[in-house]
Amino acid sequence: MGILETTAARVLSAYSVFLFLTILAQAAARRFSTNVLLFSLQSAIIAIQVAVIGYHEKLMEAYVVAALIVLLKVVGIPYAFFRLIEKLKSPREVISATSAAESAFVAVGMIWLSYGAVRSYAGGVHAPEDGLAAAVALILTGAFLMISRRKALVQMIGLLVLENGIFLAALTTTFGMPLIIEIGIFFDVLIGLLLMGLFVFRIRDTFDHLDVSKMRKLRG
Amino acid sequence: MTIALGVLQVVLLVIGAPLLRGIVGRLKAVLQRRRGAPIWRPYADIWKLLHKEDLVPPSASGVFGLAPLLLLVTSILATAFVPLLTNSALLGSAGDFILMVYLLAFGRFFLALGGIDGGSAFGGMGASREALVSSLAEAPLLLGLVAVAIQASSASIVGMTQWALERNFFNISAVHLLAFLALGIVALAETGRMPVDNPATHLELTMIHEGMVLEYSGPNLALIEWASAIKLGFMVGLLIALFAPWGMATTLSPAALGLAVVAMLAKMFALAAALAVIESGIAKLRMYAVPDFLGVAAAFGTLAVIFTALMKR
Repeated sequence: MGILETTAARVLSAYSVFLFLTILAQAAARRFSTNVLLFSLQSAIIAIQVAVIGYHEKLMEAYVVAALIVLLKVVGIPYAFFRLIEKLKSPREVISATSAAESAFVAVGMIWLSYGAVRSYAGGVHAPEDGLAAAVALILTGAFLMISRRKALVQMIGLLVLENGIFLAALTTTFGMPLIIEIGIFFDVLIGLLLMGLFVFRIRDTFDHLDVSKMRKLRG
Repeated sequence: MTIALGVLQVVLLVIGAPLLRGIVGRLKAVLQRRRGAPIWRPYADIWKLLHKEDLVPPSASGVFGLAPLLLLVTSILATAFVPLLTNSALLGSAGDFILMVYLLAFGRFFLALGGIDGGSAFGGMGASREALVSSLAEAPLLLGLVAVAIQASSASIVGMTQWALERNFFNISAVHLLAFLALGIVALAETGRMPVDNPATHLELTMIHEGMVLEYSGPNLALIEWASAIKLGFMVGLLIALFAPWGMATTLSPAALGLAVVAMLAKMFALAAALAVIESGIAKLRMYAVPDFLGVAAAFGTLAVIFTALMKR
């Protein structure tokens, strides 16, 4: 193996570390656009991982899936989000129930928790512990982002992070699902995002803001 | 021979520190499309200040004159812990990283006292802010260092550097990445750099370091300026020694030492450039957002320590 390949293998095997970094940064990010960029980066890391598995296992399908991820999650969805930000003209700042430092500490706790949760399981299914832990951490942090953020847009990012986690969990345990199912999931994500985008506009038109916490007034 | 080398390293860092500051300033100017001051400007400043009259406020006590001296001495002592050219340091075997951290804290404590002793409102304000920032920066600084120390099973900076030297670049673990981020943020806060403090302004509402030293003039101010330049050099040297020591001389042959000097200068320049980019690209945080920023650094440090346990098993 050449030095370049060893290098590449080293960097790629550390992908879970980079995923943890994006998780932490997303929890700490104070601006919506930073959050979107981090999501794009996160998806890119996963896409590279899919392509690497495709190269390893000689699977043509994996390349198609990787290309789909790049098209949809690395470029498409972030672009749509930036368009949304422009159209909604909502303030750029993320309003959160917890401060950036608190969120970062919660994310740290999630990562620790995910290692604990995965430890006994990873050995049984011969999955890499780091990768599986990263997947669980993504799911947990996505859920946390959805709970703690007050604005509908950031909650959408939380859902997408969660979906990234589920995808990564499937990838690390079973080397990915059959292509047709993957494509189905991508469509699900896309349709879900479209619906959420519509909802965001409806919320904005009805309430003049996107702050979910103020919607409690509906109950009268 | 090792003692001579240790002394040489300290002298080089102490003499060269203002140059590093000048380079950062110049790079910032280039990035902002200004012409900027020459890189030797900090030396000229120190020289000028040394030849000026020393004005002491009538209300000041002895602490006012003592503080700059103590700050300079503790800064120089702290640099004696950091290996630069070879993996040895003058005080490498004399103390661990905790002594080094608290030597710095000692100097800062006296500078804050000096700031209050000057009697002006800005001095007290700057001192209280400095106390806040440094107490918050202490946690991530220690957490990051502890993580690296656990990984290297050594409490001395020289031992940690040795551990990193024995590995190549791609064997560096998650622990190092996280500890580097934590210490990098701390370095920005400790040296009074951009997201936390703006070294280029005297705007009353925002200044921390500048507020503290507002009453100082002449030789005393020269000592403070020099000490803060040394602190920047120290932080840069520490980051390099802990996270990228490759290129340090393992033998004392002239060729190896020459290579070590070139590698060290290149790495310092790279970090100076990174600092200039950060300072030009980021807006200063509000004072109330600083604890949050350092809290994130503490989270990184905590995760680094957690990972030392996760990676061992």
